[in-house]
Amino acid sequence: MGRILGEVGRAAIHLLAASALAFFIVRAMPGDPAVLLLLAQGQAADPATVAALHAQWGLDRSLPGQYAAWLGDFLAGDWRTSFRTGRPIFEEFAARLPVTLTVGFGAFALALGVAGPLAEAAAARPHGWQDRVLDAATLGAQAVPGFWLGCLLIWVFAVELRAIALFEAGPQRYVLPIAVVALAVLGPLAQVYRAGLREVARSDYVRAALARGAPRARVVAQQGRRYAALGLLSTAAAEAGTVVGGTAVVETVFGLPGIGQFVVDSIAVRDFFVLQAFFMVAVAWMLLASLAARLARRLVAPGGFCDVAP
Amino acid sequence: MSHHRPSGVRRSPALLASLAALAAVAALWQPYAPDAVDLTLRNVGMSWTHPMGTDHLGRDVLSRILVGFANTLGAVAIVASVCIGVGMAVGILASSLQGFARAVLLRTAEFASVVPNLVAAIAIVAMFGNGTLVVGLALAAGAWGPHALLAFGLAERARGETYVRAATALGAGSAHLLRRHVLPAILDTQLAYLGAKIGRIVIAYSALAFLGLGADSSRPDWGAMLFEYRLMMFDQPTLMLWPGLAIVLLCVALREAIGWDKDAPARVSSP
Repeated sequence: MGRILGEVGRAAIHLLAASALAFFIVRAMPGDPAVLLLLAQGQAADPATVAALHAQWGLDRSLPGQYAAWLGDFLAGDWRTSFRTGRPIFEEFAARLPVTLTVGFGAFALALGVAGPLAEAAAARPHGWQDRVLDAATLGAQAVPGFWLGCLLIWVFAVELRAIALFEAGPQRYVLPIAVVALAVLGPLAQVYRAGLREVARSDYVRAALARGAPRARVVAQQGRRYAALGLLSTAAAEAGTVVGGTAVVETVFGLPGIGQFVVDSIAVRDFFVLQAFFMVAVAWMLLASLAARLARRLVAPGGFCDVAP
Repeated sequence: MSHHRPSGVRRSPALLASLAALAAVAALWQPYAPDAVDLTLRNVGMSWTHPMGTDHLGRDVLSRILVGFANTLGAVAIVASVCIGVGMAVGILASSLQGFARAVLLRTAEFASVVPNLVAAIAIVAMFGNGTLVVGLALAAGAWGPHALLAFGLAERARGETYVRAATALGAGSAHLLRRHVLPAILDTQLAYLGAKIGRIVIAYSALAFLGLGADSSRPDWGAMLFEYRLMMFDQPTLMLWPGLAIVLLCVALREAIGWDKDAPARVSSP
């Protein structure tokens, strides 16, 4: 229990660091945010209106006071209003969250579901076709941009195959976006899992078990999976970053009304409160993924292995 | 995991030098002005005069690809330099310090590893404007973290190596040790890790350009070309082919040039 509290404490400190960074990046921006907002809305930046906005955002206080006010508001769900739509950013994000989570979690689930069996088959039969597919997926994750793949898929399905149904409202809209993001993370996940399985297969521990007469496949399956799962979990936490970046790009390509698309539309008018909120949400997502992976590692290997990656 | 050095990592300095030379030439010379609109020459297919054809505004696609190549390689070079330079400096420094200072450096590197690269870059570039240096630094903002953690782990391990302890016993100074034994081993591993992820850096840069956050919006960029040409998908699908192929080829070429470690992702633990 104490350990779990320690993990949560670590995540909280990271989140605090992220909030300080997000706040000071906006303050370091050239220009007065109130003037920028009024200009973006096409209003005259007269001193009275600017002063009123400053008071509303707490910009008339000292810098630490400003940060405290901003953080308090942020934690209370007041993420300021969007320049572009004039609505509270928290509401805008909340309304679009289901779309983004569907793509993100769907892609994660699909990638993990394929990576496991693929890596086990590849580890069992080196140079077999699964092994080659896995290497190709790894290269694909390192060389094929998701937004290009997305455009090509639209061209193939919408233009060539006339499968327009894939782009109409309904659950089938998510098929191609999920596939594109899943392909970007499948390679690294499967690669790490395969590497872990191979390491176990070569270990003294397995040799000793074989010498005692235990069947090889069973030893590797029982002990290997647990050990390899540790590496897989660490990598999955790191790949959560690829997923969050990937959803932003894929939503733009496929025209899905998610958080990513909203943020990309906000770029042109430098809607910096939206960018600030997006940064915070992305870091929170990463910390949740990291926390989940750490707790899962504890469940997989309560005592830890003696020769485990740090 | 007990890796000392990535085994069997092949690199090709000649390929890296050729890419750099080609980018330098591409930056200075293109067969046509990359932004020269000629509405009499719209959507011309591949020919001797226009090897990749022309786009919907009659601009020479090859010239635009060449300019995008120079932009991309320049930004990626900045990201790679920051990752390896800052990563090694922070990792080795943390390993030579004790107590609070060490903890601060390591926690900072862990935090940088948590920040999603593309998201941080989108926020930074959108707020601070573009330019190759800004985009490069924005992409490196989080990317150096794993490099620092990796360098720290290797430096710690090197201190315990028998040959290092033996050299110390023979009276070798710590600066000499660092230069002769520790640094080369760490640099080797850093490069292998960079090679394993360099493709993602190229893709992240292209994604920024695709979202309208390239280094220079007045110059052609592969990601920006894809964003523009995707609207021509129905009439001119080949236009979408060239920038995408260019990205894929550069990713593969850089990966081979720098060399990559098959187990690289497995060797940097997430914080």
